[in-house]
Amino acid sequence: MNLELALPPWTACLSALRLDRWMMGELEPADAETVRVHVTACAGCSTALAGMRGVREELRSLPLPLALLSRRASWRPRAAWGTLGLAMAAGLLLVLRPAVHTERSKGAAPALAMYVQHGDGVRRAGPGEEVAPGDAVRFAVSTPVHAYVAVLSLDPAGRAFVYFPEGEQAAPVAPGVEVALPLGTRLDATLGEERLLALFCTSPVTLEPVRLQLESTAGTAPLPEGCQGVRWSFVKR
Amino acid sequence: MILDAAGIAALYRSHGHVVLRRARGLLGSEADAQEVLQEIFTALVKAPDAVRSVGSMVGWLYQATTHHCLNHLRRARTSARVLQLHVGPATPSAGGSRGEAASEVRRLLALLPDDVATAVVYHHLDGMSHAEVAELLGCSRRQVGYLLERAQGLWNRAEQSA
Repeated sequence: MNLELALPPWTACLSALRLDRWMMGELEPADAETVRVHVTACAGCSTALAGMRGVREELRSLPLPLALLSRRASWRPRAAWGTLGLAMAAGLLLVLRPAVHTERSKGAAPALAMYVQHGDGVRRAGPGEEVAPGDAVRFAVSTPVHAYVAVLSLDPAGRAFVYFPEGEQAAPVAPGVEVALPLGTRLDATLGEERLLALFCTSPVTLEPVRLQLESTAGTAPLPEGCQGVRWSFVKR
Repeated sequence: MILDAAGIAALYRSHGHVVLRRARGLLGSEADAQEVLQEIFTALVKAPDAVRSVGSMVGWLYQATTHHCLNHLRRARTSARVLQLHVGPATPSAGGSRGEAASEVRRLLALLPDDVATAVVYHHLDGMSHAEVAELLGCSRRQVGYLLERAQGLWNRAEQSA
């Protein structure tokens, strides 16, 4: 087999280095404009760029590593999740909107990860990731404490449903990093943005009221008492 | 450029994704990629003048990431781990022949001379042209072609002996 075929392919026509340099403002203005024009018109490069931006957003939402954090006087350590934060949160594909302060309680950083199987390939999904009808997805969660977990979704048609668990209440999950949830699903043909809400609760909350509220509030439903939430979305095209 | 602690933290926020994304692709392991990310920025905290004369921060991070990842692959512990490449909980067998081949390539990378392995990573994994690889390696394009030919030859031999 050719070596090139054995490696994960780089599918964009511009190299990762060039796209990274462009993203980080390192190119000369004329060169940057060339890349900008190209990326706008090139599906392969714009897809690659979206993936790169996804990782950037993912990383920015994570706590700093302890080695950096302890040297910043102005930084407030996030309690016990400190060093573990980064390692754990690596699994985060799905990054939350940090602006929603009520979504998290102090010191805890539950996380949701999603794996997507498209054809023969499996990849980790990033925020805003494009997926396709028929793709199989499966979730994994990270939680620093025992939690009752559920994953709900609001599809592009405004219908809310529960990905996990099958039962009526959030299911217990032991502390761990990227604990795979036992249920996977295959995406239907409804195109558009699908919004996810992962709940990490202190008690086995009943999910039907949450689902209904998600539907009636177009995805902005407040979290049930005693729950932390992780919200993000992917796009089906 | 000399970075203080706050500058390194800012660099982590602004550029850390470059390291994380490439380490994931190169190592095929989330845990190892995280470790490399930590290693690189922790090392920078200890020796901030490492980037004193750097022209391109992205380029420097590419070099640092590749170097740390190759070291990672060379460690027996990590090499053993990548043999059981984790491709995600949804479909453990979905990696198929490409997943197995990727593991083989990682094993080969661990055995290759550093410049050959680095050229392979830049060209095949990052999609760089020979000119871009040459720029990062500080060599000629001709030398890049030679390194890639050598890598292909070693790969062919490894396949024949498997």
